[in-house]
Amino acid sequence: MIITLIYRAIVALVLIFTIWNLFTEKKVALQANAALVVIPLILRFLMIK
Amino acid sequence: MGKKNVISATICLVAALTIATVTGKNFMDVKAPDTLHPSANVTETKMLSDYFGDLKGTNSDTPIYVFKGSKPGGSMLILGGTHPNEPAGYLAAVAFLENVKVDQGTVYVIPRACNSGFTNNDAQEASPQYLHFTNKNGQERQFRYGSRAANPVDQWPDPDVYIHAGSGQQLSGSETRNLNRCYPGRPDGNLMEKTAYAIVQLIKNEGVDLTFDLHESSPEYPVNDATVAHEKCMDFAAEGMLELQMEGINMSLEPSPTNLHGLTHRELGDYTNTYPILMEAPNASQGRLRGATNEEMALTGKDKFYVSAAKLGFVYVPYDENGHPIEERVGRHLQGIIEYTKAFSSIHSDKPVSFENVPGYEEMFTDTDPSQLGGPHFGSFLN
Repeated sequence: MIITLIYRAIVALVLIFTIWNLFTEKKVALQANAALVVIPLILRFLMIK
Repeated sequence: MGKKNVISATICLVAALTIATVTGKNFMDVKAPDTLHPSANVTETKMLSDYFGDLKGTNSDTPIYVFKGSKPGGSMLILGGTHPNEPAGYLAAVAFLENVKVDQGTVYVIPRACNSGFTNNDAQEASPQYLHFTNKNGQERQFRYGSRAANPVDQWPDPDVYIHAGSGQQLSGSETRNLNRCYPGRPDGNLMEKTAYAIVQLIKNEGVDLTFDLHESSPEYPVNDATVAHEKCMDFAAEGMLELQMEGINMSLEPSPTNLHGLTHRELGDYTNTYPILMEAPNASQGRLRGATNEEMALTGKDKFYVSAAKLGFVYVPYDENGHPIEERVGRHLQGIIEYTKAFSSIHSDKPVSFENVPGYEEMFTDTDPSQLGGPHFGSFLN
């Protein structure tokens, strides 16, 4: 379904930006915050949950 | 980007990947279907996709167990697991197919009608993931406790308003994933409409005369301890209901509302030649008034908040400290199948269906040591 492909592309983009943010962020607390956001994005991208 | 930052970022990412892997495995594991052991009398196992090829390879394809009697007769379909968060509906179909011997006619059993709904749980309900039993051989069996509707991974996005294709009826958007709002289905619809369509094709192609759809409802829901039947079923349904009441089972008989669309008891009766019957039993674990939700509650039906609610007159079924154990709820469904089938075969004598070895209400519930209720006794009927 095209809408699913578009959705997964958006999720992949947000995932990349979040990981980029994880590595550019200076505060460890905010790095941990970004890591938490990564978890559901991975599960969503893989259509597991 | 300093070296220190990279190290802490890497540690955070590895932790996130580890958590995603562990939780992802858990989510993938629940997609594995429960192992069922049909009785030795099963004659054929088909798939729902045999009746509508579009379901092949989807999470909605599901086994159909076929039991043919030695004598020709009518045919009957049992739908379990239409709503996978209603365990007695699923487990009654399982107990039937693991014990039955069909003498006359043909019986089709689909224990997981909404297979997709068994692969997730309803959000924010804290439902148990599995129900566990010890079978007659002392081995552990486990069965999924799923969600009311299909997994949104399999069918999305939900519309704001779900419009039933056949009638134009408008319901909440999430009902688009509710199999029992999608009948008679359509071949070019969403996954649940296709699933409903496949079940309708099974009924039409096999000439199914009598269809049972097994459910549970929360104790505060008015349609409880009840049979809902299409108007064309009323003659034999009334006879069967009287038999059930004479056996001490509190069962009401309600006509299918003509203006409530998408449900088995309405659409299967309108769009096919089958006689559809839907039965409800009380399940505290899906109710709104319940306390802590866990496997014990789903199996025993015990909940102190429902006892209080009953004293205040807020529920539609008797509720005391004994709860409503799974044996009682499954026993009601099985005895209902037995009595309604007998009554149907008596009135429609040109298409009789008869079977044996299915545990009834007494065997499953009333003749049982109370200490064995809430799972152990039900397990003794599993292979």
